[in-house]
Amino acid sequence: MDYVFQFGAVWQDFDKLLLGAWLTVRLSAITMVLGLAVGILGAVGKGSRSRLLRGLVEGYVEAIRNTPFLVQLLFVYLGLPAAGLKLSPEQAALLAMVVNLGAYATEIVRAGIEAVPRGQVEAGRALGLGPYQIFRLVVLMPALRVVFPALASQFILVMLASSVVSVISAEELTAVADTIVARNFRSFEFYLVVTGIYLVLTLAFQSVFALIERRLFGRWAGHT
Amino acid sequence: MATRMIVTVLALMALVLPSHAQTVDDIIKRGKLIVGVNTTTPIFGLMGKDGQPEGYDPDVARLMGKYLGVPVEFVSVTGANRIPTLLTGKVDVLICLFGITPERALQVAYSIPYASEAATLVGPGSRNVKSIDDLKGLKVGVPRGAMQDLLLSPVAADKGITLQRFDDEATGLQALISGQVDLAGTGLLVYRTLNRNDPGKSYEVKVVLRELHFGIGMRRGATDLLQWTNTFLYFIKNNGELDAISRKWRELPLGNLPVF
Repeated sequence: MDYVFQFGAVWQDFDKLLLGAWLTVRLSAITMVLGLAVGILGAVGKGSRSRLLRGLVEGYVEAIRNTPFLVQLLFVYLGLPAAGLKLSPEQAALLAMVVNLGAYATEIVRAGIEAVPRGQVEAGRALGLGPYQIFRLVVLMPALRVVFPALASQFILVMLASSVVSVISAEELTAVADTIVARNFRSFEFYLVVTGIYLVLTLAFQSVFALIERRLFGRWAGHT
Repeated sequence: MATRMIVTVLALMALVLPSHAQTVDDIIKRGKLIVGVNTTTPIFGLMGKDGQPEGYDPDVARLMGKYLGVPVEFVSVTGANRIPTLLTGKVDVLICLFGITPERALQVAYSIPYASEAATLVGPGSRNVKSIDDLKGLKVGVPRGAMQDLLLSPVAADKGITLQRFDDEATGLQALISGQVDLAGTGLLVYRTLNRNDPGKSYEVKVVLRELHFGIGMRRGATDLLQWTNTFLYFIKNNGELDAISRKWRELPLGNLPVF
């Protein structure tokens, strides 16, 4: 193929790409925190004695995990206004991402909670811990420690999936690159560099996760 | 080992990459014409009920196939990916509401115009907008990289316009219907479709940004194909076939198209 690569064009617009990457990072980071919170609540709901609550969580998880993220995103941005909820592109992207991650996180956290041996809860009770303390210290923390690698890879997936929010005009990294490429047609150069930026973001998030894992769960090492 | 892997990968890539048809003979020998069309631009290109593209552009493509004597294979493209799709050889020509600009002509070769349109902003009748200067504080949805985007981007900040770029025109129009944007960038005729699908809002063309002419795009080296395509367009402009397509889809006569 006789194509002359011109990476100069990329450096010219690099600040715009970084601005887009910054929105990607913000969307992803907020989604990870809120999505995990939704996941913990969902997992608790799934283990609850109330059949209604279990059914609701079940329905939520199945509906989200068995439909495409892109469709969920379009529904939030273009569909919900019909029900009176009008969100900006960034808000709609965040909501769709949190709802999506929450469903996956629910299943992951639930698996972790189920991995906690009954005897451990009983031991906690024997030590005189209250129900909240038992849940937090004896169930949730060990559960999160077990499933943390799975959660971390789901977090990375949600960050990568954020690239599709460009369709509802949220100006994250991919959208910025699309816009520039639509103008100068340097698709090979730009998408190559954007791929590199995503890779750097993934590695950065992974090292943050590793740090969190050491800090939070280091003292639990050896326990289950 | 490494060499063998590289050879395997290259062989697989060769299977995936389509052959670049550069001349009329290549296309006839292959037995089909591969055309990139946009199926998100109502009137000019949309997906028909039978799952086949229909509209002004697909009709021109089928006519081109007829005169080449080969069937047409359609590939869906968007405003953003059409040039890469052409340059990487996935299609022979682009017939996809492809406005002629010198910047784009640095990457692709254009035939003489076969259609005209205008880059416009459409909004509901209640929206009081007459020119770009009335857009202050309004949200305008445009197809990313399309003429409306190119014309408004440089002035958006100065004029206080919130420009929202969507991957295709249909999403921008959907955002208009949902009330997510106040005006949407499109052509001269789409407001009719909007009024049919979302009655009561009296959608109309608010601002005509610029009149546009569309050419058939091909790779820059394809001079033989370009020469044939121009000959073909000259012929169907004169024998009434292109006028018939224009009346069928635009509900307007073809009018005078410039040549170059």
